[in-house]
Amino acid sequence: MNVNGLSGLNELLNELLSLLSMQHFLQNQVSIPLIQPIIDLLLSMPFVGYLVALILWKPMFALLIFPGLGTLMAVLLFIIWFERKLTARIQWRKGPVEILRQAGGVIQALADGMRYFFQEVIVHRDAHKPYFLQFPILIFIPVLLPLLFIPAGSIVGIESPYSLAIAVALISLIPVFIVAIGWASNSRYAYIGTIREAFMYFAYEIPFILAVISMILLYGTADMVEIVEKQNIPGIFLNPVAAFIFFLTTVMATSRLPFEIPEADQEIAFGPFVEYSGIMFGLVMTITYEKMYILALLMSVLFLGGGNGPDIPLLGNLSGVLWLFVKAMAIMVLLSFLRSIYARLRLDQALRLSWNTLMKISLLSLAIGIVANIAFGLGW
Amino acid sequence: MIKIKTPKLKTLESIKLHLDALFTGAKEAIKPGTITIEYPRERRKLPDNFRGYILFSPERCKSCWQCSFVCPANAIKMELASNNRYYPSIDYAKCIFCHFCIDTCPVTALKPTKIHDVVYKDLEEMYTPTELMVKPPKIVREEEVTVEYVMDGDIILKKSKELDELFPEIEPHVEIKEHSVCIDPESCIACGICEHSCPVEAITRETIGQERHLRIDIEKCYGCGICVRSCPMHVLKLVRIREEKA
Repeated sequence: MNVNGLSGLNELLNELLSLLSMQHFLQNQVSIPLIQPIIDLLLSMPFVGYLVALILWKPMFALLIFPGLGTLMAVLLFIIWFERKLTARIQWRKGPVEILRQAGGVIQALADGMRYFFQEVIVHRDAHKPYFLQFPILIFIPVLLPLLFIPAGSIVGIESPYSLAIAVALISLIPVFIVAIGWASNSRYAYIGTIREAFMYFAYEIPFILAVISMILLYGTADMVEIVEKQNIPGIFLNPVAAFIFFLTTVMATSRLPFEIPEADQEIAFGPFVEYSGIMFGLVMTITYEKMYILALLMSVLFLGGGNGPDIPLLGNLSGVLWLFVKAMAIMVLLSFLRSIYARLRLDQALRLSWNTLMKISLLSLAIGIVANIAFGLGW
Repeated sequence: MIKIKTPKLKTLESIKLHLDALFTGAKEAIKPGTITIEYPRERRKLPDNFRGYILFSPERCKSCWQCSFVCPANAIKMELASNNRYYPSIDYAKCIFCHFCIDTCPVTALKPTKIHDVVYKDLEEMYTPTELMVKPPKIVREEEVTVEYVMDGDIILKKSKELDELFPEIEPHVEIKEHSVCIDPESCIACGICEHSCPVEAITRETIGQERHLRIDIEKCYGCGICVRSCPMHVLKLVRIREEKA
């Protein structure tokens, strides 16, 4: 090998090392003026400093803290408790109350999760064992990946001109995994639930994608960072029809009532997930809640202006995070609220509603998207 | 064949109904009309005639067996005490809490309470002998609030700090003084069952010549009615003691 080749390798190595250096992380750091002294103190420590710099590096912050893993877990623990509590309140009951009584049983979901950990995972004889155990874990790929594309103010995991399209494509993968789970379970209830899931999947996916496309046409871009920047007027006022379609298909996609058809605990006992027990049940049970979180984030980005909001100087970059979080939580609370009001529709009613009415309105929303793009001069 | 079609709502009407449902839900979420009582910490205020655990005061009991006879579930058994009197004991595994025994007791020896949460380890323990019926069972009261349902169009929960009294004061029965008499001495076969059955030895048999006579000591007889029930010829009867006689 000649000298030039060696130096080229050296340069490549140096470049790689500089990518992993603390300076590189600090260039693109999340700034939080409120706790800046503490961050400075931690950064000056030898090993902890590197870790803190890594976590506060914006892509890593998006992956680990918001909208990634940390917030997802916190939201899961909160929303499951909140849904039970809200439903109980509307139905004149009390809801979970005994665990951490002072705070109204707020860590009930955590306690349930711990209980799942110590329960036996039963794999029944007819199940396809490898798939039965793999899919609940593999399903986290399409659940967690879309979170990286969602911008929270200036914090975004991966910036891409096709981020919205990629996120929607990944979200559309989730029902495929649920159908696979139902197939691997190989039982009658799971079969019925899987068929229902497949029917619902086709029914809601087309209006859902049409609503998203109408928003892409409206903003003239599929880059979510740009979409948020262009929303001086929130998208819900620019295209209320698309917002309505998106909300309704979200209700269908996360199998909330009144479209809780695939799970339907009273008639087919959680449908595709009927055979699971222990921590595996804990994993599959949370899928719909995770999906709800992603779709709520996506809806607040598309229709409510994402991280836009009054700037709070003390929070620095976290200001956008806070606004996006508040908007997403508001949507999730609304979705939980529907549960206590509506009864479940029959499969044929839901399919008729979806293929007939929603399809028509979603085509209308496409037209509104094109007209609004021209009328407001949002450009391409 | 009559075919019933599904009712078709106009779009506006159905939107109005949806909004109605959402509004009602929101109203309940903000200000719920809860009716749940958190039992160990709150206790419902019970009426004074609540049918609960039964207490017994032996000094009033005159061993008339009325409670045992009336019990529809056969839960009350009369047990011989050391003073040669029979006192009731209740098997709570059988008791249906109808409180017929309390209603029928002529001397208010059985008393109702509002205790309804007694725990037993097994079925044998549920048999409560007379000694245990005298004192109320040990109860732990954790509640700080007493809750009362008020039906005022809608159900309203009324909460108060004062604790409910579990042992209501009940007025004793106005005692009807009775004694037993023989209404048809000619039918008496002088079998002597009444004499043996009398707990206070008020009945004696005398032989005058060839005839035997019953003599009932009105002073001693307190009208328990055991002899009336045991007489095979049904010639004994309870009659009221007249006021002027008393």
